Amino acid sequence: MGNFTLGRYLPLDSPIHKLDPRAKIMAMLFTLVAIFIPAGWIGYGIIFVVVSIVIIRAKLSFRFIWKSMKPMLIMMIFLLIMNILVLRSGDVLVSIFGFDIYTQAILQTLYIVVRLLLMVMITTCLTATTKPLDMTLGIEDLLKPFEKIHVPAHEIAMLISIALRFIPDLIDETTRIMKAQESRGVDLKEGKIKERIMAILSLIVPLFVSAFQRAEDLANAMEARGYAPGEPRTRYKVLKMTGKDWFFVGCSILLLIGMIVLMRFKV
Amino acid sequence: MSITFEKVSHIYSEGTPYEHLALNEVDLEIQEGKMSAIIGETGSGKSTLVQHLNALLLPSKGKLHILERTIEAGTQPKGLKSLRGDVGLVFQFPEYQLFEETVLKDVAFGPKNFGVSEQDAIEKARKAIHMVGLDSSFEEKSPLELSGGQKRRVAIAGILAMDPKVLVLDEPTAGLDPLGTIQMMELFKELNTKYGKTVLIVTHDMEQVYRYCDRVIVMKEGKVHIHTTVEDFFHDSKACKEMKILPPSMIQMCDLLRENGFAIPEGIHHTSELAEVIASQVVKHG
Repeated sequence: MGNFTLGRYLPLDSPIHKLDPRAKIMAMLFTLVAIFIPAGWIGYGIIFVVVSIVIIRAKLSFRFIWKSMKPMLIMMIFLLIMNILVLRSGDVLVSIFGFDIYTQAILQTLYIVVRLLLMVMITTCLTATTKPLDMTLGIEDLLKPFEKIHVPAHEIAMLISIALRFIPDLIDETTRIMKAQESRGVDLKEGKIKERIMAILSLIVPLFVSAFQRAEDLANAMEARGYAPGEPRTRYKVLKMTGKDWFFVGCSILLLIGMIVLMRFKV
Repeated sequence: MSITFEKVSHIYSEGTPYEHLALNEVDLEIQEGKMSAIIGETGSGKSTLVQHLNALLLPSKGKLHILERTIEAGTQPKGLKSLRGDVGLVFQFPEYQLFEETVLKDVAFGPKNFGVSEQDAIEKARKAIHMVGLDSSFEEKSPLELSGGQKRRVAIAGILAMDPKVLVLDEPTAGLDPLGTIQMMELFKELNTKYGKTVLIVTHDMEQVYRYCDRVIVMKEGKVHIHTTVEDFFHDSKACKEMKILPPSMIQMCDLLRENGFAIPEGIHHTSELAEVIASQVVKHG
């Protein structure tokens, strides 16, 4: 499980790492929207170049980005096959086993794949350069305006940060329980279906029990230290937008506008 | 039939920045039928060593012989399942592995995995539950409604029901109350003396080591630092001082008595023995 790179923070020292998390989240949102504007291959080329510049500035290696795409690969291949078989427009390119494959289908599918790849690139840029805690602070601040319509911004942020904090713990716990059950003769890799269901059960039940136990302990510990959701709180870390941050956001807005213009041009 | 380590090394996350050498060319022979204690600071490789005994971890380098089986680095060993039946490993805080609806079912889970019939598994489970000091009223209770100490006993029963030849326990008494601790240690000692099982205990409690164990294995920085008998270990005050270990209270008491003119023989482990010696000498002096 240690090889999982999707969504992992990389502690490096780069100008992108130092940016305000709010700026990075906003920029990510604008760029994500830009991807979904049908601006053609030129548009995707521009976005790719811009994102690549950000990746290089963030001192991330393209190997790392590639590794984080791997879990998506199976999904993409599945999508590719489904799309090519289902879409029927344009000219027939080839016919395999009675299935006609159309030029338009391949083009459409490539669009989707490129979009997905760009999305993973952009989100990886954000998660690899932003500490999970900073990210939740940023999310909380960005959700603040919605508190007027009763969006519990602080609670959502707290929820996310607690969930993130427990991921490594739960992974450790899973390995521990797996080993304990393997010592009792559980075979997680082979066996009949009934045995395998038992094996998975012997893993999941203790995991749930301990997760609930942890949740209760944490809730008690927080309450004992006077935590009350909804009360005004001060912060240890105060976020501040600087010129650089606004420049970063500005660039992403420009990118979005550029894509819209490009789309109008084409049509 | 014995357990030997030949230059066994274990490296975690080999080839990544998180690489960590947990065992460094360990040579070790564990005597059959003895009760051995494994001690050492946290991070000295105790848990890693112990997990090699039932092949949960495989050596990165070196060779292991466990009860007529050989596990060599770089080869995919066969018969792991039967090995796990022969070497029962109880992890730290084993109460977290309970999952069945009733205590009886949970304890019978192990033997059933090793191909024992339903009937026999239940039989073995009943015996194991009784052995750990719980009465038959616990059999139909849910493991989740028991107290911490009772859960621990059920978890240990789950391993005992497998009837392993070698019993390995990683800090089995951590967090138990004093009475529970004594009962559990007496049980392990009984399994060792009465049923001839080889017992290995990872512990930090020197009193337990002195009172119940025959041999001591001291781990330090991934190596076996000292491997000797309990008597020799505690009388080698240099080794104890070097590791900042206070000798068990029984040894301290004997030393004090000797200083004050009592003739106390070596090798006294129990309070009652000491009391008799003192009584006889007090009588002699009139």
